[in-house]
Amino acid sequence: MMRATMLQLTNVHKAFGAIVAVDGLSLSIRQGEVFGLLGPNGAGKTTTVNMAVGLLRPDQGTIELKGVGSPDQPYVRAKIGVATQALALYDDLTGEENLSFFGKLQGLSGRRLAERVGWALEFVTLSDRRRDRVKTYSGGMKRRLNLAVAVIHDPPLLLLDEPTVGVDPQSRNAIFENILALRKQGRTVVYTTHYMEEAQRLCDRVGIMDHGRLLALDTVEQLITAHGGRSILLAERTSGEVRVETDDPLAELLRLQKEGQLQRFRVERPDLERVFLHLTGRELRDA
Amino acid sequence: MNAILALAIKDLRLLFRDKVGFFFTFFFPLLYAVFFGAIFSGQGGGASAMKIVVVDEDSTEGSKAFIRELNESAELDVDIKNRDEATNLVRRGKRVGYVVLPQGFGKARGRVFGGDRVKIETGIDPGRSAEAGMLQGVLTKYMYQGIQDAFANPDKMRKQINESLAEVQSSEDMDPTAKATLQWFLPMMDRFLGELPKNEQSNRGWQNFDLESKDVAVQRGGPQNSYEISFPQGIIWGVMGCAAAFGISLVVERTKGTLVRLRIAPIGRMHILAGKAFACLLTTMAIPIALLLLGIIAFGIRPDSWVLLSAGIISISLCFVGIMMMLSVLGRTEQSAGGIGWAVLLVMALIGGGMVPLFIMPAWMQTVSHVSPVKWSILVMEGAIWRNFSVAEMVLPCGILIGVGLVCFIIGTKAFRWTEG
Ligand SMILES: Nc1ncnc2c1ncn2[C@@H]1O[C@H](COP(=O)(O)OP(=O)(O)OP(=O)(O)O)[C@@H](O)[C@H]1O
Ligand SMILES: [Mg+2]
Repeated sequence: MMRATMLQLTNVHKAFGAIVAVDGLSLSIRQGEVFGLLGPNGAGKTTTVNMAVGLLRPDQGTIELKGVGSPDQPYVRAKIGVATQALALYDDLTGEENLSFFGKLQGLSGRRLAERVGWALEFVTLSDRRRDRVKTYSGGMKRRLNLAVAVIHDPPLLLLDEPTVGVDPQSRNAIFENILALRKQGRTVVYTTHYMEEAQRLCDRVGIMDHGRLLALDTVEQLITAHGGRSILLAERTSGEVRVETDDPLAELLRLQKEGQLQRFRVERPDLERVFLHLTGRELRDA
Repeated sequence: MNAILALAIKDLRLLFRDKVGFFFTFFFPLLYAVFFGAIFSGQGGGASAMKIVVVDEDSTEGSKAFIRELNESAELDVDIKNRDEATNLVRRGKRVGYVVLPQGFGKARGRVFGGDRVKIETGIDPGRSAEAGMLQGVLTKYMYQGIQDAFANPDKMRKQINESLAEVQSSEDMDPTAKATLQWFLPMMDRFLGELPKNEQSNRGWQNFDLESKDVAVQRGGPQNSYEISFPQGIIWGVMGCAAAFGISLVVERTKGTLVRLRIAPIGRMHILAGKAFACLLTTMAIPIALLLLGIIAFGIRPDSWVLLSAGIISISLCFVGIMMMLSVLGRTEQSAGGIGWAVLLVMALIGGGMVPLFIMPAWMQTVSHVSPVKWSILVMEGAIWRNFSVAEMVLPCGILIGVGLVCFIIGTKAFRWTEG
């Protein structure tokens, strides 16, 4: 099933002086999908997101919210919610006041505003800290509030730039559930991350970027099939350890068992991490 | 329009939560107005002497001198007793109230800037609230007299300033903005005091101010009292503090990244600046209104013309909104914006009569003052309060203020940096 395009980037270039941050990127984000943008540090993910929301103007190429227009226009931006990678909150306002302020900028007011503020706080599991000043929040809580600001006006398109960095596993889980719920309601999400598990769990499709270019784009399954290589079977026998690359780990295991006493074994299925390593020659997370 | 309002409300909320900003916009101006008004005011009311007891827990030269002054005053009749006796006398209604001078009182009294505060405890018969108010007023007056003496002797004053400066410099827990400001303000005050006697006849010092202001009074109908001079000056400090606070807050929006959020929002760039300007406008109007109301209710200020005063306040606000916008482009970081901003404002104040009234300055200084918006701001307020300005006389200073504001605003908005780096 092909869905309509929500956000279209066509041959987009952006350089900062001599540094080429985005180099001829073309990308269509489909309506209702969660799209993962993966790439090592400096790949150009944030630059792409910033152009998509009109913060940066591409040197070349066009960005269009399909059927609405360019994000240079305020009314187009109203349809986008952004969680910026750099936190952007008022430390001396409470979490609730921050949300309420940004909600007003989005044109919300009265009952609807109060409702949305409550909802957004739930979204990031911050309701119990709503009346505390942001400066008293932990890093992960600020990150969560930053995400709440993105969803306050219930926009059809969400651009989330590493929204869960430093967020603890429980809150992170709740956030994933909520994002998946949004997808069910037809919202479109662009999600950049270094966490492979997140991409694998959340994303319908994943684009892998490096040096400002798109190296591959497909579903997680397809990417793994195409670029992940074969499974690896690690088996320990009385005679020592063996490591076998194989397409059929089960058959291989049976073969090994016939050859001698198996003590332990492990199968490493190809995953995004391996796809990534294969495509970029680098680990996903720069340690 | 809703967005501009939301932006402005957010800024006002932030201003009230920022203790330093709030201090410089409301508290310091009030202090200034009352403080200098009190220093230069004549004698107090003519009621008969109030009988009080003083408990001297300090027992230093300073505290003894203070008690002597109280005793010599027309308002008070003073006994010295220990605390128990004093409480007893008041409880039995033999005395109106008691006053405790705590340890460290003598040392603190002569000091003008910085240092620990001393708390003077007063105890008073609860049934005599009128006397309580009066006692407080009288005490305040005589407390300030110590400071007045300091001003009468510029060298002593300079010594104190330098001591305060050393204290400020070595202090580690002081707020950086307040610290930076004092580090600017104190040396400037010091230099100013160093210059003053050479230009004026020496040794006349400050106490002659009273006479001077009476001279003016003969010429022009004149101010009702010294508060009609000190309040416009105090107001100017508040308006400047406000311009600085909002100018700096624009820089902070950029450095903290919230400007990015505002730019992402479905509003134009001009909305963002308009929101800031609107909040600044409201505050720069609230300061004169609040201070003048207080001045009218409590300090005997009687404006000649309400209409002209309103026109003056609006002109001043417009001018300083423009200056706020200009200040916001002077620095890249909060620190540099604050430092440069206050430097500009302090120079404006210094040459414009915000620190020392213009009419006691030498003639050349009065000429230089024309370039300072502070001078015109004070002039429009004085014009409407006691200089009896006609509408025609108000037009020029108001026009200058609005013009300066407009030019600064345009330059500021054009030069404003929207991104870091
Ligand atoms: N404002 C800027 N000025 C100069 N160079 C920039 C600027 N913003 C980004 N760059 C450069 O552009 C390149 C892409 O940066 P970008 O922030 O888009 O990467 P990213 O994929 O988001 O990385 P990360 O995973 O670390 O967030 C980098 O080389 C970066 O140094
Ligand atoms: Mg990034």
